[in-house]
Amino acid sequence: MANLQAIADNVITGQAPAVSEAVQEAIDENVPVQDILHQGLIAGMNIVGAKFKNNEFYIPEVLIAARAMKAGLELIRPILLEAKVESAGKVCVGTVKGDLHDIGKNLVGMMLEGAGFEVIDLGVDVPPETFVESVREHGVQIVCMSALLTTTMASLQTTVEALKAAGLTDNVRVMIGGAPITQEYADKIGAHGYAPDAASATEKARELVAELVT
Amino acid sequence: MTPKERWLAVLNKQTPDRIPTDYWATNEAHQKLMAHLGCTTERDLYTRLHIDRAIAVAPNYIGPPLAKNTDVFGCGHKTVQYDSGTYNECVSHPLAQYTSTEAIDTHYTWPNPDWYDYSHLPAYVAQWPDYPIRGGGSEPFLIYKKLRGDVQAFMDLIENPDIVHYCLDKLFDLAYTNTQRIYETVPNQIDLSYVAEDMGSQESLLFSPQHIHTFLLPRMKRMINLAHDAGVFVFFHSDGAIHDIIPDMIDLGIDVLNPIQWRCQNMDRETLIKDFGNQLIFHGGVDNQHTLAFGSIDEVKIEVRDNINILNQHNRYILAPCHNIQAVSPPENIVAMYEAVHELGTSI
Repeated sequence: MANLQAIADNVITGQAPAVSEAVQEAIDENVPVQDILHQGLIAGMNIVGAKFKNNEFYIPEVLIAARAMKAGLELIRPILLEAKVESAGKVCVGTVKGDLHDIGKNLVGMMLEGAGFEVIDLGVDVPPETFVESVREHGVQIVCMSALLTTTMASLQTTVEALKAAGLTDNVRVMIGGAPITQEYADKIGAHGYAPDAASATEKARELVAELVT
Repeated sequence: MTPKERWLAVLNKQTPDRIPTDYWATNEAHQKLMAHLGCTTERDLYTRLHIDRAIAVAPNYIGPPLAKNTDVFGCGHKTVQYDSGTYNECVSHPLAQYTSTEAIDTHYTWPNPDWYDYSHLPAYVAQWPDYPIRGGGSEPFLIYKKLRGDVQAFMDLIENPDIVHYCLDKLFDLAYTNTQRIYETVPNQIDLSYVAEDMGSQESLLFSPQHIHTFLLPRMKRMINLAHDAGVFVFFHSDGAIHDIIPDMIDLGIDVLNPIQWRCQNMDRETLIKDFGNQLIFHGGVDNQHTLAFGSIDEVKIEVRDNINILNQHNRYILAPCHNIQAVSPPENIVAMYEAVHELGTSI
């Protein structure tokens, strides 16, 4: 019999094949796909995020957990689409122009996906216009930008300005992060949110989506 | 005192005539500073700003010709442009495709210590008799990340420990022999070696203490013993929030802790002095992410004053930027940093 707790447990320990097997079993037994997603995959990633914040997990453990979560998500994605299950929100993530560092950006993307968000990964060295296009073409609600370097922080501001100039900031929220970034800097450039780590980023994203809805 | 005497006083737990300083900068930041001060040579700059720069020595590569934009490990690099300069970033990873040590052994050629020439070192060291000399050391996990790609390298710690062990043995062996040859070529003239590995993010360690113990510490210990046996001080560099691993690094035998990113989690200066003040020399401490880059001249001066008051309680502080000064840092701030430490750090 399908075991949603086993899905969550195997996500936590990063066992991708075991997650796939348990998810497939649940699908075969017609377990509602929302339950597989929320009580299995997202429940597992919630624990991973908590352990990461608590210094029980570090980057390697989070990476293998996120990969296991993704393995399960791939199996249920077509069913989620077919059943028109709404995601927690649509976000794009990218490392800003001039910067190729992507571990932080990838972790944020994975944690957001693990929290039920639909994530469009724009990659690294992303120019402002690509963020703008992503919002226009895909109806992105939250733009997540990362910069590791003090020299590329300015690209965060340029991108916020590009989004403003395109008239997109009313219905879109901007979230930023990266080693030199602070809440103070986010406030200064007019970004709506900042998170110091990938686990906090999911909480912040949920808050920002709620702001858009209300 | 000469810069060398000043460093050695601190390293040997004696009192220097003033707080020694060091200097790290990207090429763009360095050129801006040189132009700002009208300096034409490195030595001019060091004299003008009272910088006790540790002079780096390294062998010359004489091995097989390298393909364009490829380093000695076969990693591909790309020049990435930012607003006011460029970075050279690793973009291709020659060991990414392999799933076993056997496959790596069959298909990959490790760099050989004989691909390096050391014969210029005595003449080079002789040019800097008054300055501390650094050379040798290791930072293999950084190279491992380039060989495998960051994400794979991190996951390997859990999933492919045999590959990590195999590669780190090769990389540490290369670093060990390189360091040994430097010590032999300029005997008793190397003052310090960097035994480095970035273990921290802004918030915490990047990987667990258990992984650090399993993969890195025994090999770092071998490097530390090599240095100490040659009478060389060990300079441990790790970016980020690494408080939890510092006691283990002290047990391992490090002498100097760098770079003291005191705005990172649990890395505030008071805590470091309280916990480790008697056991370490602190090197760095001037924040490069906020103060030097975006602070005012007054804020730079205040930071220098605070660093001296807090970190120099045991006369065991060498002031330096927390990392390479970047092009966004105004030359005026850099000058203010060195002038402030010269003024405030002289009557210690």
